[in-house]
Amino acid sequence: MADQRQTAKSHLAELLRSCVQCGLCLPTCATWLATGNEVHSPRGRLLLLEEVLNIEDPDTNIPVAFLAAFDHCIGCRACETACPSGVPFSLLEYGQGLAGDLVVNGSPEIPQPAVPGFVLRRLDSPSVLRFLGRVAGGTRSFFAGILGRRWRSRLDHLPVGMRSLVRLVGSMPTAPETDDQLRALLDDLVKSSSVVPPQTYPEDAPVSDDSPSDVAFFQGCANNGLLSGPSRRLCELLRSAGCRVEVPQGQDCCGALAAHTGRPTRAAAQHHRNREVFNKNTGTGSRIVVEAAGCGLELKEGLGDLGSQVIDAVHLLSGLNLPVLRAVPLKVAVHDPCHARHGQGISQQPRELLSRIPGLTLVEAAEVEVCCGSGGVWGLRYPEISEQLGRRKAENLATTGADLVVTSNPGCLGQIADGLALIAPDLPILPLTDLVWYAVKPE
Amino acid sequence: MGTQKGPALAGLSRILGPDALLTDPAARLVYSRDSSHMTLGRPLGIALPADASTLRKVVRFCKVNELAVVTRGTGTGLSGGAVPNEGEVVLATSQLKALGPVDDQGLRVRAEAGVLNDQVSAHASSFALHFAPDPSSQSISSIGGNIAENAGGPHCLRHGVTLHHLLRLEWCDVQGRALTTGRGLACERGIDLTSLLCGSEGTLGVVTAADLKLVTDPQSVATMAAFFPDLNDATGSVVSLLRAGLMPVAVEMVDQPMLEAVEAAFGFGFPTDVAAAMILEFAGQPEEVAEDADQAGNLLMGNGAREIRRAEDAATRMELWKCRKKAFGAVGRLAPSYVTMDVVVPLGKLPDLVREIQVIKAKHGVEIATAFHAGDGNLHPGVHYDDRDSELRRAAHEAADEIIRTALAMDGSVTGEHGVGIEKLHAVPWQLDPVSLELMWDIKRVFDPEDRLNPGKALPPPGSALAVPPSVPRGCTFNWDSMTVTAEADVSLSELQAQALERGLWLPVGLAAATTQADDPMGPGLGSDRSISSVVENILFSPALVAGGSARHFLLELWAETGAGRLLHTGAPVFKNVAGYNLAQMLCGSGRVLAQPRAATFQLRPAPEKLGVWRFADLSGDGNFWEGIHSLIDRLAHRDPTLGGPVFVIDGSQEDCSASGPQGTVTVLAPGRDRSWDLGDLDKRLVEVASLAGLELLEQKRFDFRSWSHALVHLPDWALAWPDWSVSAKRIQGKIEADRGPGDLQKTSFLPQKPPSRMIWQASPALVWIPGSATENEGWCCDHCCSGGKPTQLPDPDAGVPLDLLRGMKKVFDPDGRLDNPLWLKDENHG
Ligand SMILES: Cc1cc2nc3c(=O)[nH]c(=O)nc-3n(C[C@H](O)[C@H](O)[C@H](O)COP(=O)(O)OP(=O)(O)OC[C@H]3O[C@@H](n4cnc5c(N)ncnc54)[C@H](O)[C@@H]3O)c2cc1C
Ligand code: SF4
Ligand code: SF4
Repeated sequence: MADQRQTAKSHLAELLRSCVQCGLCLPTCATWLATGNEVHSPRGRLLLLEEVLNIEDPDTNIPVAFLAAFDHCIGCRACETACPSGVPFSLLEYGQGLAGDLVVNGSPEIPQPAVPGFVLRRLDSPSVLRFLGRVAGGTRSFFAGILGRRWRSRLDHLPVGMRSLVRLVGSMPTAPETDDQLRALLDDLVKSSSVVPPQTYPEDAPVSDDSPSDVAFFQGCANNGLLSGPSRRLCELLRSAGCRVEVPQGQDCCGALAAHTGRPTRAAAQHHRNREVFNKNTGTGSRIVVEAAGCGLELKEGLGDLGSQVIDAVHLLSGLNLPVLRAVPLKVAVHDPCHARHGQGISQQPRELLSRIPGLTLVEAAEVEVCCGSGGVWGLRYPEISEQLGRRKAENLATTGADLVVTSNPGCLGQIADGLALIAPDLPILPLTDLVWYAVKPE
Repeated sequence: MGTQKGPALAGLSRILGPDALLTDPAARLVYSRDSSHMTLGRPLGIALPADASTLRKVVRFCKVNELAVVTRGTGTGLSGGAVPNEGEVVLATSQLKALGPVDDQGLRVRAEAGVLNDQVSAHASSFALHFAPDPSSQSISSIGGNIAENAGGPHCLRHGVTLHHLLRLEWCDVQGRALTTGRGLACERGIDLTSLLCGSEGTLGVVTAADLKLVTDPQSVATMAAFFPDLNDATGSVVSLLRAGLMPVAVEMVDQPMLEAVEAAFGFGFPTDVAAAMILEFAGQPEEVAEDADQAGNLLMGNGAREIRRAEDAATRMELWKCRKKAFGAVGRLAPSYVTMDVVVPLGKLPDLVREIQVIKAKHGVEIATAFHAGDGNLHPGVHYDDRDSELRRAAHEAADEIIRTALAMDGSVTGEHGVGIEKLHAVPWQLDPVSLELMWDIKRVFDPEDRLNPGKALPPPGSALAVPPSVPRGCTFNWDSMTVTAEADVSLSELQAQALERGLWLPVGLAAATTQADDPMGPGLGSDRSISSVVENILFSPALVAGGSARHFLLELWAETGAGRLLHTGAPVFKNVAGYNLAQMLCGSGRVLAQPRAATFQLRPAPEKLGVWRFADLSGDGNFWEGIHSLIDRLAHRDPTLGGPVFVIDGSQEDCSASGPQGTVTVLAPGRDRSWDLGDLDKRLVEVASLAGLELLEQKRFDFRSWSHALVHLPDWALAWPDWSVSAKRIQGKIEADRGPGDLQKTSFLPQKPPSRMIWQASPALVWIPGSATENEGWCCDHCCSGGKPTQLPDPDAGVPLDLLRGMKKVFDPDGRLDNPLWLKDENHG
């Protein structure tokens, strides 16, 4: 056991030696940008890890301040993408793991989530989320009714405790449920946009097709519970591109929530269950398509052999021939979920996909590579940093002059919606696939 | 150290607030390191002040409580400058993030110290402007850190290092006083504190903000990579390029081992079976760039390049740059530990040094990979080793020291841009002589008597200097291969320029020639000659100067005699040098109050081919004369400043310039190339604009730049005389304003409401000269007084400049007041 630990440690120490401490990862690290404190930077965390690995005596306690630093890491992996020296994220993940006990058992340096544990533990249930979504939606309408369109910024001056409640309400992911609601929203946007619609639009050049195939659709708790409209439309979209879409019954949460709340056994059980379900329903060669980038990354790792068949929905769509039917003359900014951009290397695909829509202009925000600060449970434990990052992201997006923001992860959707509500309440955000659906399905 | 930890921390916490003072073990570990891999001790605490005023309180508190302060930007320094000793206070500027509005006419912006280098350019990008210094760490290094290290970067070849892009610093001394370094004019005379603080590694003061110069984005850029099978051919080609009159914005290089590491990291698909890859970039007008790139391509192929790749689009361009800029990071893949050097040699010695490095490598049996700022003669050989093997470690450090000594023997410098920090302290004494080190320490004691600001960094201990200074050179010696000239104080500028121009080079501080103007009743004019000492003493010297910059920009090395009679040799004949304080630049423009120049080395640049001259007249008398001139200036004001000029000699004197409608002539002088896209294009635009504005073209000529003095017959006599005074100017909303620097209320606009009848307007740097007739009653204030053809005493420094520190320096350099003694340096009650 001790030997094993020693081998693991020396393996990590070897990996760590590739860090030349250049600091080029800092400007992409959300927690450093938010705090200006280098302890909360990738290089800082790696220096602390180096010290931890140097501790010979297993009984020596790691200072809590070190663990707190590891725990502040969102796990966005932006630093891994930025690093010219190839330092792997697994090092930081190891640090996060060390802090895990403190997260579970509580410690003054490691904050507990702003929501009670019994609620938190049930967030991997679509029905609980659906209920919470309704409550949040009702509360939002209530506030908007009495305070007007700028309700969110009007409530920004409340005392801390109240504010985090408002934030919870503001950042609960939401999107138009019915197709008509979505069409109405986008029709209005197009009408008021300054982008000139194209006179003629070119034939959508056929892409080098992974020709239409069988896909098994992974639902995901948040999508299923809070964003069923977009999920339904995504399936329609896939079908109109010629895919045969199957939604295997009995699927479970991807396991990310349990893993990030210190319940590895539960996560393993969920992985196991999903493996069984998808094994039964997925032929070799067909794809498991995942809507939320966060679930996608977890499944690629958690589904074992099936992992290689997992594909992000946007990634899949970008390779399919779509019968694009209408121009969407809008200026659109894309927010890349970290788990897509850094976790799965998906950043070109959404842009390629959208640039096939006639009339649509893509605009690029500053700090595209930086996390929006949602971070799932992380955002509930570090609400202040998270809120600051949400605003920062919203500001960067609003500065582009975009008419619309799109993204492909429920957490990002809610987080950025809340930021935008504060900074630019007239700038809407939608699931990326909803925008594509709108271009493909005029009526 | 007399202070108890507890009370000190409590005091700091009171100033900063508990969240902005870090004292936990994690922070004390993280802030004990920077990119240099060096470490000394753990800091007492880390202060993250929210604004400059809190920062100053922290500095003052530390002084009072006998605590040492280490300022930190983002800790990317490679020489350990931000690494604290045990128990010191780290003062991090990461919260000082304000960026002011971009002044797109004055081409400047104010940035606080904690702003990242890249953020400045991003901020200015919508005006098609950028901040030129581009260290490879630009995405993360702070402006404060860039200033404190005088950082360089690939594009500094054409545009100059950080110092050349600073107009004014806001800083605090060890007492926590809010200070500035001057008014921030385009070209300012005085004891230049900006030069002194820049590169002083936080040992003299803490920079809180800076007014930065911006440069215009080029219309077109061509980036290319050349692959050389032979290292000698590659290094030799650098000089050939510049000597061929090509002025790339950047010439960078990586050698084979470095290329391999970069390939392993990024897989660009570059050949790795070559000895070196050179990356060069041209910028300017599309045709110019295409022509230059073709010419360079042919030249490099002729010099032994095997293959040339040109980046056709922005994405490929980024790839090529990544190869160079991420080289340092990719080094982590070569070996776990390395010593990176930062030596710089005269350009002509580059091939020799690179050959010597191969010998040293073989002799010590070590691995070396090198990235070069080749155009600057600046090399970063990295000796790689596994630090678990003490034998290898010893060999690596021995090899590194031998490389440094070899560079020094070639008149080089220990460090071109990374700074001394703690890492190069042992080597600096090999470069500095006792007098210069002693003066640096004297200055340090004036600024920081108790050695509280970053102690133990930048300067080796007093008395440690070992170098023997070169004796004062005689006459004028050109080093054509290194593109430098060393001249004794009384050498005439005209002689120097004439010889340089014969070889297609010049010193781009302006022109002067021995013509026959000496008897002119208005005093000797532009045509009259100037000595090298005058060029050094008075950075402004010539009215109709068609210049690319100030003497401070091109001065590399100086011999001077202090008032106390000590012979000072400072700087080195290299394009970049940050070993010790920038005494040469500090003295340049300081008149004769601290020291008298004895000789100087300057950088030379490829000379322009031609001087275009246009003369227009307003014969209509319809009152549109000044508007017409305005449109002309508008068209040309944003020319690349490194090209020099254009200059407008405006003579409204034929008629009284009163309400009845001024009449007059304007002569435009512009250096450039004899091509349709340069002077030809200028020609078209000028004539077009002029005719719209009702100006008539009287004359249009192009002179060979070497015989530029023939152009002078086209200028009115008064323009050849020394003007009474000149003013730094800037244009705001169609008006020219006297530029008294930011925050100064005495701005007076005079165009078009009340123009003096005669003046010379120079676009870059923006300066205005007005001959004798203009007086203060026209609303102008005189900054750079010249009278009777001779520069007068130095003007009073700006209110923010610490007179007590300047007086302290006077005592160091000229204790008995043997040299010039302006009132403000003598009089304790003054200011
Ligand atoms: C990958 C990489 C590439 C690099 N490439 C280059 C390059 O191309 N060219 C180059 O010149 N350098 C380069 N460097 C070195 C380094 O980035 C520069 O020296 C940079 O200017 C340091 O800035 P910083 O903010 O990190 O300063 P720090 O490392 O924090 O500090 C450096 C020094 O400046 C002082 N200092 C910092 N801020 C202030 C202030 N506000 N007032 C007074 N003193 C202050 C500190 O006390 C210290 O002595 C590179 C470094 C890395 C890691
Ligand atoms: S992780 Fe990579 S980018 Fe960050 S400091 Fe280390 S080597 Fe540099
Ligand atoms: S994973 Fe994200 S939050 Fe964590 S250190 Fe890297 S960039 Fe920062």
